Amino acid sequence: MLKRLSGWAMSAPATALVVVFLILPVGATIAATFAVGGGPLAAYVDYLSSGFRRTVLWRTLEIALLTTLFSVIIGFFTAYVVSRASPRWRSILIIAAVFPLLTGVVVRSFAFLILLGRNGMVNNVLVWLGVEGAPFSMLYTEGAVIVAMVYLFVPLMVLTLVGVLENIPDDVIQAAASLGATPPQIFRQVIFPLAVPGLIVGAVLVFTGSFTAYATPQLVGGENVMVMGTFLHQQAMVTFDWDSASTIAAIMVVVTLAVVLAMTRMARRLNPMAT
Amino acid sequence: MTGRLSPVLIGFAVLVYAFLMGPLIIVIGAALSDTTFLTFPPQGLSLRWFERIFEIGAFRRTMVTSFQVATLATICALIVGIPAAYALNRYRVQLPGWLSTLFVLPVLVPEIVLGFSLLRSIQVGAGFPVFSTLLIGHTLLVLPYCVRVISASLASFDFSIEEAAISLGSPKWKTFFTIVLPNVRSGVIAAFILAFITSINDVSVALFLTGPGISTLPIQILAHVEQFFDPVIASVSVLLMVLTVAVMAVVERTLGLTFLTK
Amino acid sequence: MTAPLSLANLTAHYGTTKVLDDLSLDVGEGELVSLLGASGCGKTTTLRLIAGFLVPTAGTIHLGETDLTRLPAHRRNIGLVFQNYALFPHLSVLDNVAFGLKQRGMASAARAERARAMLARVGLTPLEERLPGELSGGQRQRVALARALVIEPPLLMFDEPLSNLDAKLRVDMRVEIRQLQRANNTTAVFVTHDQEEAFSISDRVAIMDAGRIRQFDAPETLYQRPANAFVARFVGFENLIALEARRREGAIVHAEGPGGISVALDQDRLGAIPDRFTLATRPDGLRVTAQPEAEGIPASLGLRTYLGRAYHYQAETPAGHLVASGPLSRPLQSGDQARLVPEAEQCCILPEGEI
Repeated sequence: MLKRLSGWAMSAPATALVVVFLILPVGATIAATFAVGGGPLAAYVDYLSSGFRRTVLWRTLEIALLTTLFSVIIGFFTAYVVSRASPRWRSILIIAAVFPLLTGVVVRSFAFLILLGRNGMVNNVLVWLGVEGAPFSMLYTEGAVIVAMVYLFVPLMVLTLVGVLENIPDDVIQAAASLGATPPQIFRQVIFPLAVPGLIVGAVLVFTGSFTAYATPQLVGGENVMVMGTFLHQQAMVTFDWDSASTIAAIMVVVTLAVVLAMTRMARRLNPMAT
Repeated sequence: MTGRLSPVLIGFAVLVYAFLMGPLIIVIGAALSDTTFLTFPPQGLSLRWFERIFEIGAFRRTMVTSFQVATLATICALIVGIPAAYALNRYRVQLPGWLSTLFVLPVLVPEIVLGFSLLRSIQVGAGFPVFSTLLIGHTLLVLPYCVRVISASLASFDFSIEEAAISLGSPKWKTFFTIVLPNVRSGVIAAFILAFITSINDVSVALFLTGPGISTLPIQILAHVEQFFDPVIASVSVLLMVLTVAVMAVVERTLGLTFLTK
Repeated sequence: MTAPLSLANLTAHYGTTKVLDDLSLDVGEGELVSLLGASGCGKTTTLRLIAGFLVPTAGTIHLGETDLTRLPAHRRNIGLVFQNYALFPHLSVLDNVAFGLKQRGMASAARAERARAMLARVGLTPLEERLPGELSGGQRQRVALARALVIEPPLLMFDEPLSNLDAKLRVDMRVEIRQLQRANNTTAVFVTHDQEEAFSISDRVAIMDAGRIRQFDAPETLYQRPANAFVARFVGFENLIALEARRREGAIVHAEGPGGISVALDQDRLGAIPDRFTLATRPDGLRVTAQPEAEGIPASLGLRTYLGRAYHYQAETPAGHLVASGPLSRPLQSGDQARLVPEAEQCCILPEGEI
């Protein structure tokens, strides 16, 4: 009993902080969406009845899904190379992935302004190569946002998966080889299935991160590529329509939590190491 | 390892790393440019854009604010996070499982939603000052890192050492400071650094919690980019990269960077 | 299916460290050979070289007529049983066992049938749908064994396969392994640091140290007639005493050492004794006697420990510190002067200089 009390006592400040300043305010934001006139779901009916708002939601989902897909594919093969590299190279490659991760979102998104602008490096190269039609306007397109977000999330994916791949015991791989499996067979039949739970965890991180991103779509996409994050900011701080902003916030929370819950449950079911 | 990596895979990884490093190198190049517009490769080298950062009052002020908020938020998060991490490990059996989920909630709730909700309920609703709300937001933002990293180092801590100290006559509260904390020191350092860098780089929470005279560096960068497109942003970015390198050096010294893949 | 294994002049390095030094070893068809030694002696390196996970810097590996030295691991067709079992955590017991057959392109139905037959042999039929995480240590070990055997390899190798099991299960499993290996008449290499395990399971044992084989013989020979001081100490001959033969009376050799050491040894029981040699004894092969006039090694007794069947005494002698034993009926005290007399059945003769 005493132990129980000291446990509670020591975690009380952190619990209070989270309850008072996270759960209550976010709960209030969500609760507010049910209080607008015209029935409990009026705010959502209203949201989905507008073509522009629907477009923003679908566009954000599309960008997040494509970003996740590309990050997972790129991250997985890169992490595989990193995890199989010699110890020296492995630490160099891990450091090279940590550096962009710790460099802020603003700095990394800004890099794409320089890269993709009309006078940017990519256009300069295209002009120099004499490509017809160059320079192109590449900024402020959905493609630019996706490329910049993939850039943002690949390091996270690589680091998550290197950990997962390194946890596959060497002797399991050797056992497969001793039983006659060729390296491609080992990759398909042993390494990939064992990495799937990690892939799911990484994919969740990337999806929720890109679904709720603000800085990158704002800088690289601008007004042309409005997504949920930039839309929320615009409604809250430019048009001061807090009811609308709250509805956007609530949709973001619901989508994020639903994806996290569904995918972690799936990852747990697929994880043979957990039992 | 059995078998060598296929050259196709190695080539792929080389391209990916070029993709990861390239844009950052271009930012460095642009920062050293002598021209008044952003371009790469730089035409003429100069450091004048670094000097320019400090001539612009808004950059000076927001840098100071960012450092203050990051330091204070990290300290606050450690003060509440360390006991929580300790309780989660020491009294694992006695405490309910959802408690540990509670401390990772700030990661699950979108940052931008947290920022907006704090603006709505705490700053406007409860009338908290701008700076306090910003500090609260960042404390919440970094709390999960503190709890998780310190929990990880406590997970390998043998609590019978603590019992040994108590049996030798050390009071319980004192034992926490003389025995437990020194043994998770590297975890605390790592938590501090991760939290600090997370706070310094944050956009989504601070976005809503800035007010007259109070803004953070990333928000100032965003505002500046939207009006001017000059190399001063590149030089600020380089300064932030230098900070990142310094932070990585400290992490490498204390823990080894590979702990980030765990 | 079976074939002899032949290692010739194998040398291996980890980086610049030489871990295996010109090692040669021949394992006959259907024979079970153990590599025995402390960690770092090179036994696991040898196994990894044979399996193909390491490449030797010099030397060759042959299995029957096939040169394995440069063959990739997955084409060597060797059944391997790992210390941590190394089961595929995402595959059921049945799929684990069928894995090797699948790589060999066997049709799904046929390999399930073969795998089931193998599981029946190791008594795991009811568990075939389980995942490895749901099995006990002994069950995992059986799956690992079945998985290695089902591909009918000409060579089976075991890397400390029993070290994670409890004592009782370890004994049961080693009997089971030996029976399966005998029944299939498969050539086998067994790596272990456990002397009892190696001696009980093997036809022959190679005792290794510092990347070399110190002696390769049948367990009985190793246990009774070690060839050198290293092996002698390894199998429990703790006391090594340098002696010189002074007088020979028929089979009896009277030998002397420093400080009044004088012993009589029987060549009929110990084999031929050269003029200069080392006498090696186990503690039980050195009997403590209080009679002052008897032949033997003069000793001053120290700590006495009770072992159930006898007392052991720490003893200071002119030949250095020795451990001797005495009967329970007449315990002696610390500080007593006594003589230590060698008993032939717990002694052996080593060449001069082996000490």
